[in-house]
Amino acid sequence: MGVIRPAALGYILGQFLLALGATLLVPLAFSLWSHGGPAPLAYAAVVTAGTGSALFFGLPRPARDLNRREGLLLVFCVWLAVSFFGALPFYFSPAYFSSFTDAFFEATSGFTASGATILTEIESLPRDLQFWRCFSHWLGGMGIVLLGIAILPLLGMGGMALYRAEFSGARSEKLKPRIAHTAQALWKIYVSLTLMEYVALRWAGMGAFDALCHSFSTVATGGFSTRTASVGAFDSPLIEFIIVAFMLLGSINFTLHYRLWVERRPRRFVSDFELRTLLFIMVSSSLVIAAILALKSGYAPAMAFRRALFQVTAITTTTGFTTENFAQWLPLPQLILLALMFMGGCTGSTSGGLKTSRMVLLYKVVIREFERMVERRGVFAVRVGNRVIPETAVRSLLNLVYLSFLVNFLGCILLAASGVDVFTSIAAVAAAMFNIGPGLGNVGPVEGYGGLPAFAKWVLSFCMLAGRLEFYTVLVIFTPAFWQR
Amino acid sequence: MRILIAGGGQAASLVATRLIREGNEVVLVEENPDRCHHLEETLDAKVIQGNAASIRVLHEADIRNADMLIALTSQDQINVLVCLIASVESDVKYKVARLRTHEVNYWRRILQRAGLHIDLIIHPETEIADRILRVVRLPGVSDVIDFAEGRVKLFGMNIEEKSWVAYKTVEDLDRAGPPKNSLIALIFRGQQVIVPHGAEVLNPGDHVYIVTTADELEPVCQFMGLQTQESLDRVYILGGKQVGIRVAELLEPRGVTVKLFERDIARCEKISQILRKTVVLHADGTDESILAEESIKGAGAFLAMTNDDEDNLIASLLARKLGAKKVVALINRLNYLPMAQRLGINTTVSPRLAAVDRILQFVRKGRVLSVTTFREVEAEAIELIAAEGSKYVGRSLREVRLPRGAIVGAIARPNGEVVVPRGEATIQAGDRVIFCTLENTVPLLESAFLAEARREWV
Repeated sequence: MGVIRPAALGYILGQFLLALGATLLVPLAFSLWSHGGPAPLAYAAVVTAGTGSALFFGLPRPARDLNRREGLLLVFCVWLAVSFFGALPFYFSPAYFSSFTDAFFEATSGFTASGATILTEIESLPRDLQFWRCFSHWLGGMGIVLLGIAILPLLGMGGMALYRAEFSGARSEKLKPRIAHTAQALWKIYVSLTLMEYVALRWAGMGAFDALCHSFSTVATGGFSTRTASVGAFDSPLIEFIIVAFMLLGSINFTLHYRLWVERRPRRFVSDFELRTLLFIMVSSSLVIAAILALKSGYAPAMAFRRALFQVTAITTTTGFTTENFAQWLPLPQLILLALMFMGGCTGSTSGGLKTSRMVLLYKVVIREFERMVERRGVFAVRVGNRVIPETAVRSLLNLVYLSFLVNFLGCILLAASGVDVFTSIAAVAAAMFNIGPGLGNVGPVEGYGGLPAFAKWVLSFCMLAGRLEFYTVLVIFTPAFWQR
Repeated sequence: MRILIAGGGQAASLVATRLIREGNEVVLVEENPDRCHHLEETLDAKVIQGNAASIRVLHEADIRNADMLIALTSQDQINVLVCLIASVESDVKYKVARLRTHEVNYWRRILQRAGLHIDLIIHPETEIADRILRVVRLPGVSDVIDFAEGRVKLFGMNIEEKSWVAYKTVEDLDRAGPPKNSLIALIFRGQQVIVPHGAEVLNPGDHVYIVTTADELEPVCQFMGLQTQESLDRVYILGGKQVGIRVAELLEPRGVTVKLFERDIARCEKISQILRKTVVLHADGTDESILAEESIKGAGAFLAMTNDDEDNLIASLLARKLGAKKVVALINRLNYLPMAQRLGINTTVSPRLAAVDRILQFVRKGRVLSVTTFREVEAEAIELIAAEGSKYVGRSLREVRLPRGAIVGAIARPNGEVVVPRGEATIQAGDRVIFCTLENTVPLLESAFLAEARREWV
């Protein structure tokens, strides 16, 4: 596996921090416009860029490419560092964020595109901070390291190891022979989707600032809004529909987008098994929830479907926008939403969760075990759509599912230990781990996470990171084997 | 440039590494899933799992848009088939295939007549046999590389503890009065390459490359403390495989006594029908008593050419111990090469490296006349023609600033004169200039040296 060279990691980390320092300057434009003083963001930019240049210019350029172990460690360090330095603007605004814990939670939730917030009142937040929340979604949604590979030329070294580590489980197809070109192609699609949504939202009558922030949040399947009542504040069916459409686009495998838009092969897009499954599950869940809302809660049928469709899409794509407080719904719709949290969108997309294709695969593996029980000498291949899944993939899937339940369970215990009630802890950990944002119970869309104890916030921040990097990358660092020479 | 490589073996991965580093987009097709996984981990390339002779797989690898195809699978039939599919299904500009059959020359003719144009057919065994022929008379010399149609020679040698040049600096050697045209161009020390200056010390264990002219090759060898053989006395070849037979065929007309060991009696009979003068011995050439009986002591050369790396290594060590003047071992597995060197077998030949060298030469062709890549380490020797208007032309070497890590090895003038320069020489337009250089300066040199650099390959 090779030895870990701290200097090499620091050098590359320095590049990331320099770039982050530069991106912190973007919302600075809004600072000047909204409250005259650039204070928190400017300080944060200086600290970040200062640390970055100290590492970058102070350390020697590594002579060799990063090895696998260094790649894994670096990806984790990058995410940790970005969450840390991304939290500085919040930390330097004590009027809104009372402690570093809160600031770090908010930034982690931003970069992992979760959308869990400790704030209960968003309109009073200065515009630059509102922008930074949504912008952090957008930077993290597609993968920070992937962005680094696309735009930082010096990251050519070890780009492979990094790419693998950020996309641990979902080995998405490589679009171009070179890693940097693949990353650039993916980012181009991402940027185009964002622009399209911005135009659509403006057309639907949203203000420029709101449209920009919501575009960032939607395509990244993040969930931060500029309004306390989230998308519900606009009360416009058209806006809701546009956002539903783009949440869905963001949670489709980006390889499919590439096939459709760049290679112009719509057949590959339409016939994709995972996408079809996702749509089927979303539509049927929406119908069930709509029926319950209409029959039991007295909603008008059209309104029931509108609310159900938006909420199901927001949760399944792991965005976490809301149009009403679903934590007040009847138990069955809430449990359906909880189940959808685990599933998430497609592999190779910006959404979290265990991913639709994995759930399908899991189902097929279980079915195969039954078949084996009946036909003792039978040899059965596991198929998803037309593809035969190799046994190694089956094994790593089972590991992943096990790991996710283990992390979920441990997270719940830790939350319960810090005094959170059972249902809230289960929902909060799932919502954090699968990068959804608002949970159920006492961390529903209205209450937010502000009321949780500090310890619980740290646990949830860790869950968000672990979930975003699909468990393996984070957890392997805590195994003794990783540190053995 | 987009390059499709069929096959994912050691040679393919080595070629891919180099080509990727030079900025090309590489797609590999490999059948074995485990090997695919390994390639994906180590190369910044797209890897497609599947049989390279399958049209569907080749399309998946985007053969339509490839600029160059390199067929390096282990099977000749597949390599030819891939080229055939490529010539029909896409208009790939260059096709390269490796063939290992001894009928390669018939194949060249047949493919041409069938209208399947392959730009380069590599036959590693021929390359190896040629390489052996160049060094067989020079004990102590690991390899000799020709430049400027053989007028300039670059040869490698190990610095031995007992040699008089050990622990001397480059300046010391200069003062000892070496032949006029000679220059220590590169020193390989472990994983390091050094372009030496005067104060550099030659340590035992270093592998050095020296530039000289064709006429002065032997005097320079003698100056460096190496023996040379006017005529070869006896040559022993171990193993009656393709390379062994080919070398024997090349040596026979030179009046050299050749003896060939082969363990398999049927094979012995076959070889005795092919080779007229060579004595074919049905014996195990790795057996010390048999070698001793054959009086290896004082033999001109011992060439271990079986298909078994371990046999070749053991037999070479034995032959060296028994006193053969020149020992050459054929090594298939690339990771054995450094070890062979450490064991004191200073000349090794490898079919894979021979193929890799040949491919890189082909890829470079057009901008560079000739190129040699050194093993493992990132250094090259390249030959360029000085273009009118280049900033190096018309000025003495002392004045021009070469990129760091580059050195002018020799200048071959159009009138036949060859100079191994010492600072005051001047490059004229039309001269062929041989550089020894670290790999990363190659593009710099090219663009600076060719006034109108042809960048199509970068």
